[in-house]
Amino acid sequence: MSAEAAVKYVTETTEAEKERVAAWINTEEYKELNFKREALVIAPPHTCQPLGAELVAHAFEGSLPFVHGSQGCASYYRSTLNRHFRDPAPAVSDSMTEDGAVFGGQNNLHEGLENAIAIYKPKMVSIFTSCMPEIIGDDLVAFLKNARNKGIIPEGMPVPFANTPSFNGSHIHGYDAMLNSILHTLTEGKKVEGRCTGKVNLIPGFDANTGNFREYKRLFAEFGVPLTILGDISDVFDSPCDGSYHTYPGGTKLDDAADSINGKATLSLGPYSGAKTFAWLKDNYSGKHAAIPMPLGIAKTDELIKKISELSGKPVPESIKNERGRAVDAMTDSHQYMHGKKFALYGDPDQLIGYVSFLLEMGAIPYHILCSKGSKKVEKEIQALLDASMYGAGCKIYMGKDLWHMRSLVMTDRVDAMIGDTHGKFACRDAGIPLFRFGFPIFDRVNKHRYPIIGYQGVINMVTEICNKFIDIKDETCEERFFEMMR
Amino acid sequence: MSHPIKKIEGITKESTEELIAKTLEVYPEKAKKKRAPHLGANDQASGCAAVKSNKKTVPGVMSARGCAYAGAKGVVWGPIRDMVHVSHGPVGCGWYSWGTRRNLMTGKLGVDQFAMQFTSDFQEKDIVYGGDKKLKQLLIEAKELFPLAKGISVLSECPVGLIGDDINQTSRQAAKDLDLPIIPCNCEGFRGVSQSLGHHISNDTIRDYIIGTREFSEPETPYDISLIGDYNIGGDVWSAKALLEEIGLNVKSVWTGDGELEKIAATHTVKLNLIHCYRSMNYMCKVMEEKFGIPWLEFNFFGPTKIRESLRAIGERFDQNIQDKVEQAIAKYDPIMQAIVDEYRPRLEGKKVMLLVGGLRPRHTIGAYEDLGMECVGSGYEFAHNDDYERTSPEMPDATVVYDDPSEYEFEKFAHALKPDLIGSGIKEKYVFQKMGIPFRQMHSWDYSGPYHGYQGFSVFARDIDMAVNSPTWKLVESPF
Amino acid sequence: MWPQKENTMRQIAIYGKGGIGKSTTTQNTVAGLAYLGKKVMIVGCDPKADSTRLILHAKAQNTVMDLVRELGTVEDLELEDVMKVGYGDTKCVESGGPEPGVGCAGRGVITAINFLEENGAYTDDLDFVFYDVLGDVVCGGFAMPIREGKAEEIYIVCSGEMMAMYAANNIAKGILKYATSGKVRLAGLICNARKTDKEFELVSALAAKLGTQMIHFVPRDNQVQRAEMRRMTVIEYSPEHPQAQEYRNLAEKILNNKMLVIPTPLEMEELEDLLMEFGIMEAEDESVVGVAEAAA
Repeated sequence: MSAEAAVKYVTETTEAEKERVAAWINTEEYKELNFKREALVIAPPHTCQPLGAELVAHAFEGSLPFVHGSQGCASYYRSTLNRHFRDPAPAVSDSMTEDGAVFGGQNNLHEGLENAIAIYKPKMVSIFTSCMPEIIGDDLVAFLKNARNKGIIPEGMPVPFANTPSFNGSHIHGYDAMLNSILHTLTEGKKVEGRCTGKVNLIPGFDANTGNFREYKRLFAEFGVPLTILGDISDVFDSPCDGSYHTYPGGTKLDDAADSINGKATLSLGPYSGAKTFAWLKDNYSGKHAAIPMPLGIAKTDELIKKISELSGKPVPESIKNERGRAVDAMTDSHQYMHGKKFALYGDPDQLIGYVSFLLEMGAIPYHILCSKGSKKVEKEIQALLDASMYGAGCKIYMGKDLWHMRSLVMTDRVDAMIGDTHGKFACRDAGIPLFRFGFPIFDRVNKHRYPIIGYQGVINMVTEICNKFIDIKDETCEERFFEMMR
Repeated sequence: MSHPIKKIEGITKESTEELIAKTLEVYPEKAKKKRAPHLGANDQASGCAAVKSNKKTVPGVMSARGCAYAGAKGVVWGPIRDMVHVSHGPVGCGWYSWGTRRNLMTGKLGVDQFAMQFTSDFQEKDIVYGGDKKLKQLLIEAKELFPLAKGISVLSECPVGLIGDDINQTSRQAAKDLDLPIIPCNCEGFRGVSQSLGHHISNDTIRDYIIGTREFSEPETPYDISLIGDYNIGGDVWSAKALLEEIGLNVKSVWTGDGELEKIAATHTVKLNLIHCYRSMNYMCKVMEEKFGIPWLEFNFFGPTKIRESLRAIGERFDQNIQDKVEQAIAKYDPIMQAIVDEYRPRLEGKKVMLLVGGLRPRHTIGAYEDLGMECVGSGYEFAHNDDYERTSPEMPDATVVYDDPSEYEFEKFAHALKPDLIGSGIKEKYVFQKMGIPFRQMHSWDYSGPYHGYQGFSVFARDIDMAVNSPTWKLVESPF
Repeated sequence: MWPQKENTMRQIAIYGKGGIGKSTTTQNTVAGLAYLGKKVMIVGCDPKADSTRLILHAKAQNTVMDLVRELGTVEDLELEDVMKVGYGDTKCVESGGPEPGVGCAGRGVITAINFLEENGAYTDDLDFVFYDVLGDVVCGGFAMPIREGKAEEIYIVCSGEMMAMYAANNIAKGILKYATSGKVRLAGLICNARKTDKEFELVSALAAKLGTQMIHFVPRDNQVQRAEMRRMTVIEYSPEHPQAQEYRNLAEKILNNKMLVIPTPLEMEELEDLLMEFGIMEAEDESVVGVAEAAA
């Protein structure tokens, strides 16, 4: 240090100053400042497109997800899926580096394909892109055609690919792009005029709850309607521990996916996360098509059940009618624990709409509704739900906001609980409210992805978790004299 | 080095080389040729690196490696608790590295520590028109909303480098305007071959922007040291720092676990730098040695044997006062450690462990396993360099397999052949091996446990290893049907 | 994302050295096609956004990227906000992009074309889509218009000037790369005359060497500038003027052009030989290389 320069000493923030700021960030004044933000995004709950692409790239038999781009991206996506499912997520990348950025990524792609196919013996390689090739403008159509010409891709091996730029949309759009490409690739030339498989195709949307997938299968089995889930993760991310490791433990059979174009009907349950796929499929698939909301809560599940009945031409089985009755029984039995409770909620559009619908059914109030990557259309749909219920009065929707905004909301205008994913736990702790982890990802609780939240069974699961938590809180916090045997 | 040569029954140079050759059989010629030099049998006596390292990952083989950004944000910058760390670019990178390293922090979130994810959330328009204006604006907002932040780091993601944004100029101007240290770090993920370059770039950034910009207000003492390369995973720093203080040293700053910017900036006034993770921080130790004449010493706080050796080596750098305290500490903890060993060693004796971690633990933890009676039958790194492998050679038993940036396939094949009782590696590997019925501990994150550093850490480590290896759940894996 | 459905629409990309008159030539040619009753869309792929002003009589139209910047995301953008209709029912879109030296103009081209595809801009009634592309294919983004399923015909605008010829040859190299993996072909050189020596012969000779044709020699005429001052094409401003007929001829030739080739670009030496043959360049004299005029 030069002698003339005044020495700057290490400073310590005083406790009083920390206390002042700690109090300030909980104020209305801070909230206003916080909501004025234009450039800085703090703790957004959504992530980038490729994560969604990888999820669905795992969901087909023998499919190896392949990241065209930096290897670090691939490691990030894989780790996220590992942490959420506590299961393996084998995926490769072609490790593009600085030279790839300058000269384009064709060599990396070709070498990567050659190695991945030799080592991991996939039936299909599902390619999606991270930022770098999107910015330098790599032409995947040409690269893959060259790979086929050079014999790098074995004859007949499907290699779908999706452009999934991280600076556009969110993980649900990556899911959509990859699924669309997989179906487009697998069904090409498979349409047979007059053929009908008799099956219903189901597009679940971006959903990381393996229990939901098993529940769909059970519901269709109750109906006796043959089902093809397009992108089935249930056995992929919920595989048995039996002493052996399988790179490809499950997924939609490629033949089934190929034949899905001749299906009796196709049902999309992720109108927002499967939008493009559904739009494409309407023009190309045989049979009837319908896109309905994700079946969260009674009304949305009713819609699904009616739709299955309508598309299959089969009556609703007694067993499902009884199931509905049991779910409603669970709700009436426990409504007093949720009625009038205020919730803050956030998540992907399809889930968010479902949570709102379910809460209103319970007489609970979806008070702060936040979507970090929504659209005007989503907002309208949620507003319509709110307007239709007296419990929706006074509830507000926040589009394009993040979890630091959410913190301001729950600190200044209090609620009883939050619904979201693990990332909401910090705001919940500060607000002293419980967090119900129904979203993605869940890093800090075990086995949540094995408990369905869709369908009537899902209603029972959600009601049970929420109500018992409120009862726990009462037991843990009430005065001794109010601590009693029954609740 | 006069290490005794350790042998493992059934493992010879020939058996290891055969294993490697068999493993590579499935590879295409070019990939085989590229991968072969990265796999080798340890020659313990030589102290030489058994493998080539720090080379580009072979495309498509399923590497566990991350990128330069991960090394910068996740490793070096993220743990500095009183700074706002902005992931500059699209939303993903910051999201994936948000809360996933377990570098714990003291303080209150959003008040005096800032472990949230801050991002400029690039959209198409920011790619096409450049993100400098957005950066300028978000720096203003960060300062307004977080007045107690001592500085802001700007960590570039891939697109920033590709479109040629000048974050250095924007940061420099903003630092002046806002009167706040704003540190640009050009750590785009496509640079280099692994996390490692991110560490190096970050070290250079600390050199250029931070070191020497502050001084401690209290008078210097002969016992002033800095703890370098400890990231406070599961509270490691808190354990290590307490032990160093117990032997009479003043830990003036920590790089960077639970770290504070201004203390890091004043590190140039300490008397000795103690470095735990050599790979990620050796660069700055060397800079401080050259520029400020501060000597540095590598040490190892895993397991009582290595801790004892390290404490004595540290003591030697100081006067009798410290050396006496070192002996007192050893005398105090030895019986406690012995009690732990006595409890767990009978259940772990002779068990085999395989390791694949980042840049330090594949060698540094071997002693701790050995304290518990276990032996290491294979070890390797995601992103180590030649000097790491040189340091690994004497620690590993002779002829055992060494792997650099192994693919998942290679790792799986090695485990299949060597049948370890425990694998210590990362989240991507964990469930692969658990499905195979092999006990596993995450050795990056301490599997949501910790600390593992220091005497306090060993008690946790021993319990965790026993729990993993001997959990009765493993006996249920084989189905009776 | 995938090849467009088969239809009769022809997609054409115009490349050429900066300042050669690409945009003027493109718009006058398009006006010629419109005059002949063809439905055309122009997609300007240059951040300067001057590819449609003569058709629209406008200073500059709202570009895709300008509006994306204003609205924040591509999702909120509507097609009618960025597509304007001008002379002869010609649809006009500009990709737009940053000023020189910042951001990534190439990505702007990708963003814009993706947007147009996803929002149904490529309607079946179109006979032609013209991409007017920035000077040279500097990165993948500027090659977007010639990816599979997009432009398969490329015309290079050049003149008899040395640098224009160099540029044309370089562009041919770029096309060659794409031609081997896709359907993109060189369809001809358009000589936008600068009245240099032996211009007609020289450009014809270059075209022959590249394996293509000089599809038309557009003579230099100040009528073009007079029209431009009124932000019009010559065809609209003075349809009877001989220069308007030149553009109509060019349009007609493009309409009937069947000569689509994989180009055979020249090595640097060959190109220099060609220039020397026509006296544009003198034989290399090592003694004068790097010697300033005053010093010589």
